[in-house]
Amino acid sequence: MAEIYKCLNPTGTQMPVRTSGLAPRLDTLDGKTIHMSICGEQDIWYFLEKKLKTDYPNVNWTVKKRYHIVPLQLSEEERKTTDAVILGVCW
Amino acid sequence: MPYLSSLEQQGIPTVLINYGEETGKVQHDRTLYGIPHLRHVVASRKSPGGASEADILVEPLLEAMTRPLTDEEKESGMWAPTEPRILFEGTLEEAEEFYNQTENIPGILNAPFSRYTDGLPVVIPTEERVAAMLKGTSHRPDEVITLQRDMKIQGFTSIEQVITRKKGEVIRFMPMYRTATVEQVAVNAVMAGCKPEYFPVVLAIAESGGGTGDGRGGGGAFIVSGPIYKEIGMNVTNFIWGPGNPANKTIGRVGSLLWRNLGGYKETVTTITTLGSPVTNGGFIFAEYAEGLPEGWRGLNEEMGFSKDESIVMPCMPGAWGLGQQNMPGVYRSLQRTGHGAIARFLDVKGIVGPHNYLEYLIKDVWATREGGFTLVMPQQVAQDLCDYGFKSKQEIYEWIWKHSFEPVSKFKMRGAQDFVTNGWLGIEKTSGKLWRELPDDYMVPAGGDDPFESYNILLCNMEETAVARFGGGHGQAFSIDAWR
Repeated sequence: MAEIYKCLNPTGTQMPVRTSGLAPRLDTLDGKTIHMSICGEQDIWYFLEKKLKTDYPNVNWTVKKRYHIVPLQLSEEERKTTDAVILGVCW
Repeated sequence: MPYLSSLEQQGIPTVLINYGEETGKVQHDRTLYGIPHLRHVVASRKSPGGASEADILVEPLLEAMTRPLTDEEKESGMWAPTEPRILFEGTLEEAEEFYNQTENIPGILNAPFSRYTDGLPVVIPTEERVAAMLKGTSHRPDEVITLQRDMKIQGFTSIEQVITRKKGEVIRFMPMYRTATVEQVAVNAVMAGCKPEYFPVVLAIAESGGGTGDGRGGGGAFIVSGPIYKEIGMNVTNFIWGPGNPANKTIGRVGSLLWRNLGGYKETVTTITTLGSPVTNGGFIFAEYAEGLPEGWRGLNEEMGFSKDESIVMPCMPGAWGLGQQNMPGVYRSLQRTGHGAIARFLDVKGIVGPHNYLEYLIKDVWATREGGFTLVMPQQVAQDLCDYGFKSKQEIYEWIWKHSFEPVSKFKMRGAQDFVTNGWLGIEKTSGKLWRELPDDYMVPAGGDDPFESYNILLCNMEETAVARFGGGHGQAFSIDAWR
């Protein structure tokens, strides 16, 4: 009879992650400050940024732009006055 | 994703725009970072782009920001997948079938993808074999892999700040952001075919992130410096990147297994890559032959702040293989010994015995289509010729090459990667300290990297034939192998 072996697991350890629900959505866009976090490929943003600003003039649009794949983050102070964030295309 | 997670947890609603083929990874990452219901809108790489793409995206973006949350989207909880220590029990034949199993992945057109291997058969990690591997280190099997010393890291581009990492920092293996114990690394070392005496090198590779990078590491590439290469029999001579040497071959393979198993790499599911690299596929590692250095030249270990007797490993990125002027080794010898042949004609030293500066020939047009620095791997005679010519240290060579890479801003602007590395010309140019966009077109900037030492590297192999190999990338971060003995 062939010998039986115990064989070990090569996978790493996944640390537990506490998951949370999403932040409440906006009831209206008017008068809100919505931040555009632009990073990575800029291509689709050229027209998207312009269209959002043109079609929704009652929104206070803010922008941080970076060519790197890691976005430029809002400071804690900026977060206090920001109602929503659109981020693309890297995360 | 950590940024989006922090915003959501602070009560700021977010929407992510991602490209279509990245959707699987988005869904994976949002769980990994604690926001499993993150809303995202899919853009297409295949659309015509421009205004029509914007028209398509606006409505779903605003809808994702305003549509009330479902009960499921409001839920919080805990994600805690676990893995057993013993993965399989059975005969060796059954174990071979188990460890070499594959699954079909839709994102790669249902091609088979190995669950536990790099695609090649592996040595089965029985408890006995793993126990034998663990004898190659004094570290406990349950010790978590951590940084063994403080270090400073320059970001990927010059616009990023230097980050300080502290000794004891737990190493995360990407893309799943997992941790690992010494034993888990040993399991992979066994699977790769390593011997216990190689294990300190493998652990130092693990400390460096195990070739997992930011999740797209590809298994990495590594350079060893210091006396351990002799102890474990790494080939530093002819065919340094060829088959046949167990140490080079099996340790080189470890990175791919660490990426797959510790990091949880699964193409199109946990990571999106592009084409990969034929240079590093299958493993890439070699050791420096420091004994052949000319007097006054320092080995890589000393260059990186370690002692001459300390063994280290340094990850590298061997892209752009073979860049620069080509030459037959015999033509090189003709240049230095008698002043004849093509390179002698190029340098206008016909009939004059060397030493001549071979670098003048090597760097001609080397930055014509590719910016950045490179590593030169040369036999001791070429190094000695350079020393005799007047380069009394490697650093003098790094600086000489770097200074020859300068070109006007007008030419630099025409290069493909510069929007990225200059942050759209909004960043600071290092040699002037000024904003890129404020520099005149005739201002001279280095096409060969930001810094001579970071951008270039010279390593010796033990060989009489005078062939010089070169590939992209210079100095990175070094990790002590001796710390893992």
